[in-house]
Amino acid sequence: MAAIISGYDLKQRRISTQALLQQIYRSLEQGETEFEVTSSGHHNIGGPLWTEDGRPLKFRVKNPGQRVGSFGLEGTEIIVEGSAPADAGWLNAGAELTILGDGGDTTAHCAASGKIFVAGRVGTRSGSLMKHDPAYANPEFWILKNTGSFSFEFMGGGIAVVCGYGREDLPSVLGDRSCMGMVGGTIYVRGPVDGLSDEVWMLDLDVADQKFLQENMPVFLGKIGRSELEHELTDFSRWRKIVAKSYEERNVHSRMTMREFRDQRWVGNGGIFADVLKDDYSHVAGLVNAGADRIKIPHWQDKRFGAPCQVACPSNIPTQDRINLLRQGKYEEALALVLKYSPFPASVCGEVCPNLCMDACSRRYIDKPVAMKELGRLSRNVAPPELPAASGKQVAVIGGGPGGLAAAWQLRLLGHEVTVYEADQEIGGKLRQVIPTDRLPADSLASEIQRIKDIGITVRNNTRVDADLFETIQKENDAVVIASGAHNAVVIPFPGHELLTKGLDFLKDVNAGKKPRVGKRVIVIGAGNAGMDVCLGAYAMGAEQVLAIDVQRPAAYKHEIDSVKALGGEIRWPVFTEKITAEGLWTKDGELLQADEVIIAIGERPDLSYVPREWLTDRGMMDVDACNHVVKTRGVFAIGDTTKPGLLTHAIGAGQEAAFQINDYLAGKELKPIVKPELINQSCLSKELFKPRNRGRFCVTDAKDEALRCISCGTCRDCSMCLEACPEGAIRRVEKADGTFEYVSDDDVCIGCSICAGICPCGVWAMEIMV
Amino acid sequence: METIRVQHVTPNDMPWKIRYDASRCTLCGSCVSACSFRAIGAKVERRRMVFSEGDLPDPQQRFSAVPVIRQVKDVRHYCRGCGICEKVCPNDAIAPQRNPDTRHPVVSRCLGGDSIKRGGRKNLEGTTRTLDKLRVGRISQMTDPSLDAQRHTFDLLAPFGRIMPPKALPFSLDNQNNLQVEDTMPPVRWVYPVIIGDMSIGALSWRMWEAVALAVAYLNEECGMPVRMCSGEGGVPVRLLKSRYLKYMILQIASGHFGWNRIAKAMPHMVEDPAGILIKIGQGAKPGDGGLLQANKVAEHIQAIRGVPKADLLSPPNHQGLYSIEESVQKMFLSFNSAFKFRVPVAIKVAASATSVSVFNNLVRDPYNIVGGFFLDGIDGGTGAAHEVSLDHTGHPIVSKLRDCYLAAVNQGRQGQIPLWAAGGLGKTGDLAADAFKMIALGANGVFTGKLILQMAGCVGNDMGRCNACNTGLCPVGITTQEPALVHRLDVDRVAQNIVNYFLAMDTEFKKLMAPIGNSSLPVGRSDALVSTDKAVADRLSIQYVC
Repeated sequence: MAAIISGYDLKQRRISTQALLQQIYRSLEQGETEFEVTSSGHHNIGGPLWTEDGRPLKFRVKNPGQRVGSFGLEGTEIIVEGSAPADAGWLNAGAELTILGDGGDTTAHCAASGKIFVAGRVGTRSGSLMKHDPAYANPEFWILKNTGSFSFEFMGGGIAVVCGYGREDLPSVLGDRSCMGMVGGTIYVRGPVDGLSDEVWMLDLDVADQKFLQENMPVFLGKIGRSELEHELTDFSRWRKIVAKSYEERNVHSRMTMREFRDQRWVGNGGIFADVLKDDYSHVAGLVNAGADRIKIPHWQDKRFGAPCQVACPSNIPTQDRINLLRQGKYEEALALVLKYSPFPASVCGEVCPNLCMDACSRRYIDKPVAMKELGRLSRNVAPPELPAASGKQVAVIGGGPGGLAAAWQLRLLGHEVTVYEADQEIGGKLRQVIPTDRLPADSLASEIQRIKDIGITVRNNTRVDADLFETIQKENDAVVIASGAHNAVVIPFPGHELLTKGLDFLKDVNAGKKPRVGKRVIVIGAGNAGMDVCLGAYAMGAEQVLAIDVQRPAAYKHEIDSVKALGGEIRWPVFTEKITAEGLWTKDGELLQADEVIIAIGERPDLSYVPREWLTDRGMMDVDACNHVVKTRGVFAIGDTTKPGLLTHAIGAGQEAAFQINDYLAGKELKPIVKPELINQSCLSKELFKPRNRGRFCVTDAKDEALRCISCGTCRDCSMCLEACPEGAIRRVEKADGTFEYVSDDDVCIGCSICAGICPCGVWAMEIMV
Repeated sequence: METIRVQHVTPNDMPWKIRYDASRCTLCGSCVSACSFRAIGAKVERRRMVFSEGDLPDPQQRFSAVPVIRQVKDVRHYCRGCGICEKVCPNDAIAPQRNPDTRHPVVSRCLGGDSIKRGGRKNLEGTTRTLDKLRVGRISQMTDPSLDAQRHTFDLLAPFGRIMPPKALPFSLDNQNNLQVEDTMPPVRWVYPVIIGDMSIGALSWRMWEAVALAVAYLNEECGMPVRMCSGEGGVPVRLLKSRYLKYMILQIASGHFGWNRIAKAMPHMVEDPAGILIKIGQGAKPGDGGLLQANKVAEHIQAIRGVPKADLLSPPNHQGLYSIEESVQKMFLSFNSAFKFRVPVAIKVAASATSVSVFNNLVRDPYNIVGGFFLDGIDGGTGAAHEVSLDHTGHPIVSKLRDCYLAAVNQGRQGQIPLWAAGGLGKTGDLAADAFKMIALGANGVFTGKLILQMAGCVGNDMGRCNACNTGLCPVGITTQEPALVHRLDVDRVAQNIVNYFLAMDTEFKKLMAPIGNSSLPVGRSDALVSTDKAVADRLSIQYVC
C-alpha cells in the first residue's frame, strides 16, 4: 500500500515544496517504498532518495513541478502521469523516469545515468550536457516525438533516442541548431533533421545500433504504453544516428587553402595586377638571397676610378701601376712605364716637381706618402721605349722646353718624324735655363735630354721662329705644336721700374754660368715658386740678405719657401710697392726697404708674335679648345705657358695630351678631350689592412720597397682578400689569355652582402644598388 | 689619421645603434645582405697591441686587421631599428639598440634643411590609452541570460549606407493588406563591423595589396564573413574592377582623385557594383595634410594606374572644388551616388577634430538621403608617409569624439541613421576585437583598421620608433615598397591566410565580448556595458565610474 503524499493541506491549500518533500522523507523513514504524489508544481520530487536495505522506491506523480527526479538514484522509479515542466530528470544519477506526457525545457539536462522515457515532446535544450560516467551504464533518454531547439548542447555521453513519431512535418525533429558543442554520446533519430552543428557526424545505423534499438524499443514503448508502435518504429531505414566528431576530427579545417583559392577562384591568369606588371607569387624570396633578389650586386671595377696620385698628377702618371709591376718583380717594366707619360721622370718627378702626387697619396693617412720622388729618380737611366713603325707624318714643335719636348717625345714614340725648333743654344727650356742647379743636378737633366735626342728627334737649336719661318714650318709639316713658353718677364711700371732686374733673365744668366753680380741686400718682388728660385740664385751669386715680398699670401710651395728661409731669407706680405729708388724699395706705407738690387719675379708672358694675331686670346695667349687645338686654324696645337701659366708638370702633361690629340688628328679622327679618371673616394679603400710604419723611424732607403706601402688605389693589387672573405665562396680569380686577370663574382651564389666591397684594400669592388 | 670632426655624424647621433659582437660573428654576410636601409656595411678594423714581455722594457707590437660589420655613418642611411639583421643573424652577433641619446631629430633637420618624414604611427605615446581604461563591466549575471560565445549565433553586421527611420520608410499596404514599397530606398550594405581601411596601391606593394584583397574575398566566400576593404586613394587594378570581387571593395576618392579615370572607364565592364564609395576628406594620422606618396614608390604600374609621371605625389590637403560642408554634401555625395545610379552607398571619412560634431550634425540632416556613413579617423592611425611634425603633433583622439558624435545624434533622436565608423589606433595592442567592441558600445556602428593589417603581414614597425620607414620605399618585409627585390620577400598566400586567421580569431573574440552582456547583435551605443576606473574618462564618456 503506497504512501499517499498530497500537495495540499486539509483546507486544500497548496503546501510548500519543503513541506511536501518532508512528508516523503517521513514516509521513507517509516519504511514506505511506494509513493502516490499528488503535486501542485512542487519541485525536486523523486530524489536523491534511497533505502538502507536496497529496496527499490517507486513514485507515481501527478502535476509535478520542475526538476522531477533530480539526482534520482538507482533503484528509484518515477512515473509522471501527464506532462512534466522544465528540468525533469535533471542530473539523473540512476533513476528511471517515465513521463507519460510531454517533457519541459532542458529535460534530462546533465543526466549521467538511469533512463528517462518521454511519451511526447521535450522542450528546448533537452538532453544538454548529458554525460556518461564509465563506471556505470550509459544514461538513456527516450523521446517519442521531438525536441525543441538547441537540443543536446554540449552533450558529452549517453544515448538519446528521438523517435520523431508523428512529427514528420517538422523541418527538424531535433529543433534548430541541435548538438552545438556536442563532444560525446549517441543520438538515434528518426525523421527530418536540419540545422545540426558542424561538430557532429550523422551516420547510418550499424548492426549494433539496430540491435540496441530492437531490444530496447519494446521496453520504452511498454513504459509509455504505446507498444502498438513497435513495428512502425523499428523500420530502421528511417533512422540515423548522430555522434560527435572526435577531438582530432574537430581540428581538421575543411576550407580550401589560400593557394587553392587563389589558383581556382581568384581573378584568373596572374591576379589583379597581371595587366600592369609581371610577378610570380609562388616565388617568395628570403631575407637573404642570391641571384635576382639581391638588393645590391658587386662589380669588380678594376681601374674604374683613378688613384689620387694619378689624378693629381698633371702628367697623368699612374704610380699605382708602376708599383704593381714592382710588386710583381717586373722591375725594368716598372721603371720604364713612366716614360710613356713623361721624358723627365728623374729631373722633374725626381727633383723639381712639387709632387702633387705625393700630396694626394692615400698612404699619407697611414704614415707617409709613397716616395714617388725617389721612384722617379730610379728611371733616370732607363732606356727609351722601342719605336713603332714610322708613320710617315711630320710634326714640328716650336720650343724645346719641357712641354715641347714632352710633345716631341710622345709624337716620336707614336712613330712620327719630329723636328724641334729651339731659340736657345740647347733644348731644355726653363728646366735648363732658370732652375737653380742645386735644385736640379745638371747631369740628371743632361742624361734625360740625351735620351730624348736618342730616339731620333731632330733638334734645330739657335732657331728663333718668326712669322716667315712659322709659315714655312706649317707648310712643311703635317702638324705643328706651339710650345715656345713664356719668356717675357712681367714688369709693373711703378716709378723706378727701370732699375729692376728681371727675375727670369737673372736666373738664365745664373744657369748660363754668367755669374750676374748682385748686391748684398736683395729684394725679390714676387714670392711664388719662381721668386723663391730667384732668392736661391741671389744667395748663390753672393747676396747676404734676401727679402721676398708679395701683395698676397706667398704662392710658393712650402718646401721652396723653407729652402729660402734655411739660407736666412725673409718673406713679407702683404707689401705694396710705391717706387724703386737707388736706396731700395719704398712701400705704399712709406717704408723704405733698403736694397742694393731689386729683382722682379711675378711671372712671364709668351711671345707669340710669330703666329697670326687672330689665333690669340684678348690676353695674348694661344686660343685653344679642350683638345689643345688652335681654334682659328687646323693642325696647329698649343701647350704649356703659351696657353696658360703652369708648373713644369702641367707643360709635360699638356705636351703628352697634345701628342695624343695630334696622333688622332693625323689619323683623321675626331678629336675628343682627354678625360682624367674619376678620383676614387677614400672611403672605398680599406686602409686599415695596412700596418702603419712608425713615422718616427721611417725613411726611404730604397724606393723599390715602396711596393710594400702603396695601397694601389682603384687598381686591383691581386691580394685575394675578397676571395678569402666572401662568405659564399662566390668570388673566383680568372686568368685571361693575355696574361691579365680578373675577379668574378658568381651571381647564382653571391648574396650581395658587400663584404668584398667593404674590405677591398684598393676599392675595386663596388656594389650596384638595386633598391 | 683621418679626423672625425664635431659635425661628422656618428652612430651615437642616430636613433638606433648597432650592437655587434665580433667574437660571435662569422662574417656570413646575412645581416648586410638583408638590411634594406644600407645602415650596416662591412669594414676593416685594426687591432693593435703594444706590449712588453721581458723583465725590462722591450716594446713589441701585435697588429691585425679584421673584417667586421659596422653601422654606416651616414644620416641618409641611418638604422631604423627594424631588427632584420638580428632576425637573420645565425649567431646573435648583431642587433639594433634604441639610443636614448639620439641627436637625430636635430641632426637630420640641420643636414637636410627639410622636414622629417616617415611612416608608421604617432610616436609620442606616454600614457595609457583611453580604451585600456575601459572594461566591459556590465556582465549578465543572473539579471538576464548571458550567451554562449562559441555556440550561439551572433549577428555581427554593421550598416554601410543611409538608414531611414521607421516613419520615413516608403511602405504602404495595398487593398489586400500586402506591404508595398512606394519609392526607392537608399542602398544599405550590412557588412562585417571591421572594414580594412584605405591603404592605396601606391602605399602598399602590389603583393600586399593583392593579399589583402585576396583575404577579403576568402573571408567572404569561404568563411561567410562579409568583410569589406577600402581601396585607398590611388586607383584600383582594372582586373579587380571588372571582376565579381568588386562587390567586396569600397572605392575611395580623395583630394588627388587618383585612379578614377580607369574606374570610370571600367564602369561599363563591371559585373558587380562596388560595396560602397568612401570620400576621403582627411586622415587621422596627419590631419590637414593630403596623401603623400614619395617618388621612390611611384613604380611604373602606379604611374599607369594613376596617370602621373614618377614624382612625389601629393594629394592636396583639401578637395579643390569644395568650400563648405553643405557643398561637400551636395557635390561629392551626389556625384558619387549618381555615379552608380544611386545603387551604391556613399560615405565620407574625416580626421577627428575639435569640430567633428558640427560636421556630423550637418550630415545628419541629410535631406536627400545620400549620406551613407560618417567615418571618423583619430590621431593614432597609421600612415605610409607624413611629415613627422604632423604625425606626432596634430590630430585628435578618436574615443571621446566618436562618443560626442553619437550622443549628438541621440540628442536629435537620429542615432543610427548615418552609420558611424571609427578608427585611429584601434587594435594597437594587437587586440582589435576589444577596441572595436568598446567603440561600438560607445556608439560606433563599426570600425576600420589599416596599420594592424600590415602587422598581420609581418610589419615590424611599432609606436616607439621602430622601423617607421614606410615612406622610404625600403620596407624590409616587402609591405610598403615597390622594389621588386623587397616585394618578393612577401608571401601573398601567407599574408592572406594571416589576415583571414586574425579575422576568424577576432570573430570569436567579438562573441566572447557580446555573450556576457547578452547581446547577440552588435551592442551599438550600449555604453551601460562599459565602466571605467578613471573618473575623468568615465565622466567625459558618460559611462559608469567604478573603483
